[in-house]
Amino acid sequence: MAHSAPAGKSPVKRVAITFLLLAAIGGTLSVPFYARSMPKLGDFPFFYWYQLILVPVVAIVCWLCSVLLRSKPTSDARSRHGGGLRK
Amino acid sequence: MNPVAFTILVVSFLVVTMIGFAAARWRPAEDPMHLNEWGLGGRGFGTFVSWFLLGGDLYTAYTFIAVPALVYAVGAAGFYALSYTIVVWPIVFIFAPRLWSAARARGYVTLAEFARGRYGSQGLGLAVALTGILATMPYIALQLVGIESVLTVMGVGGTSGNAFVRDLPLIIAFIVLAVYTYLAGLRAPALIAFVKDALIYLTVIVAIIYIPTRLGGWGHIFGTASAHLKTVNPATGKPFGSLIVAPSGEWAYATLALGSALALFMYPHAATGVFAARKRNVIRRNVAMLPAYSLMLGLIALFGYMARATPAVNAGVKAGGGNSQLSVPLLFEHMFPSWFAGIGYSAIVIGALVPAAIMSIAAANLFTRSIYNEFFNPDATPAQETRVARLASLVMKVGALGFALELNKTFSINLQLLGGIWILQTFPAIVISLYTTWFHRFALITGWASGMVYGTIEAYRTPGGGQAHFGASTAPVFGHIAYIAIAALAVNLVVAFVLTPIFRAIRLPNGYDETRGAHYYADSVDGPAATAGTRGA
Repeated sequence: MAHSAPAGKSPVKRVAITFLLLAAIGGTLSVPFYARSMPKLGDFPFFYWYQLILVPVVAIVCWLCSVLLRSKPTSDARSRHGGGLRK
Repeated sequence: MNPVAFTILVVSFLVVTMIGFAAARWRPAEDPMHLNEWGLGGRGFGTFVSWFLLGGDLYTAYTFIAVPALVYAVGAAGFYALSYTIVVWPIVFIFAPRLWSAARARGYVTLAEFARGRYGSQGLGLAVALTGILATMPYIALQLVGIESVLTVMGVGGTSGNAFVRDLPLIIAFIVLAVYTYLAGLRAPALIAFVKDALIYLTVIVAIIYIPTRLGGWGHIFGTASAHLKTVNPATGKPFGSLIVAPSGEWAYATLALGSALALFMYPHAATGVFAARKRNVIRRNVAMLPAYSLMLGLIALFGYMARATPAVNAGVKAGGGNSQLSVPLLFEHMFPSWFAGIGYSAIVIGALVPAAIMSIAAANLFTRSIYNEFFNPDATPAQETRVARLASLVMKVGALGFALELNKTFSINLQLLGGIWILQTFPAIVISLYTTWFHRFALITGWASGMVYGTIEAYRTPGGGQAHFGASTAPVFGHIAYIAIAALAVNLVVAFVLTPIFRAIRLPNGYDETRGAHYYADSVDGPAATAGTRGA
């Protein structure tokens, strides 16, 4: 079976990435959790400010995951290609 | 008609068109009649342009007209679009790099070619191609409806009983788009995407800061919206909607968000955006920056409540036959000085025109590569291909015009959701197939057909917006109201899952998979890409 991350990543990293992405997806789709008006932020009911704040949070999560994946281009397939090393 | 706003709209349209054509001449094509030129803008788009191309898929009339119109009419339920554009990024983060690598390693430019290559199945490729073409039509129709709503508010056409005069704004929108795409190809809209985004950011930032101060603050805006949504709709005997999603609407909200997110990158134009990236990592890096578009979408959705809090907009919508699509253009008309309203109108019109052009070009490429070349003329010359693609792009728009004229426009968002029902049925053949070829190719085709038939029948049976058929895209499934696309995908997967062991047992021939494990990790190189050393599968 193929893996979604290139071979050679540490299992800790892979677990962290999986957790982060699943949390981002779960946090967005758990509608019963955020379908409420309290607590308000200014005049904004919770339902609205939660989702608006979720946008930068998910952006940071995706950025973190991409950094985790990029930091060690160890896979022999990738380094032999050279594409993972040159920026 | 407001002459200042109208003049600004016409001038900005002419200016961006000239930018587009001038840019084509500044970087002249070796052979303008080559499909790579017309259809892929010379295939020379880097990271920066990829970001605009990918993000541009979210910034369409869907964002500017359909979503706020839904929020205007039913409140919180319309906000599913924000959830959709948030959840789409982690999902894309997971599978898009694999898709990009496989496409780069094998030289695929459409999703249909991937499905065909993965299963050695012309039939599966054809299914994916036909679905892409069909599903893009209502999405383009949505863009036409968006342009139409601006023209209507500006006083072009009108509410006359004459069918031709009534549909005049739509017909003008169609002609402009058709001529524009036919002549310019992908190059012009891709370059104009910068101008378009600048106009949209400007309009949204000004609107979100300035309009609430004129309307007495957000407290007043939410208060007015809430009061309206609680009142009972005489047509249905129920409240119009709610400011917070009700428990009975939670399934619909979540499935609409998830279904739309899974569907987005199955569209031909979104796939083109992925394939255009220069490196594998570019996609992941882009995904971390693309939520900037989602944030804008969330702010634009709030325009729906601002419009509700503006009495003149409510009067205008009522005068327009209860067409809530008019709410955002009317909001600009009543809140902005006429010159800035003109800029806002330009943002909407160009913001609909550019994606509509990109969509019809992507679908035309799909037709040319995966149907015309594959089945009719494998030895077509580049000039023949370009001619076919141009004609196909016209057919796409005629189809879109049909959808726009036939379907009720009260909730234009339904056009996009209808396309989503269809396009999501290619998900198993594309995304699941990136990870496994466990499914039998004929089981996938049968599953796809089952999902298409089920989804179309369910959508046909659903009344709404004053029409008996294709009125809405959510229907009861096992006691919950849910997005039909998700239910149809479940049907699709169950059929494919059950049939695969049966087809294997009766030894139905499975196709040859031309991809290799390493193809799914391939990155761009200067030499040939398909020579990786490891095998992952």
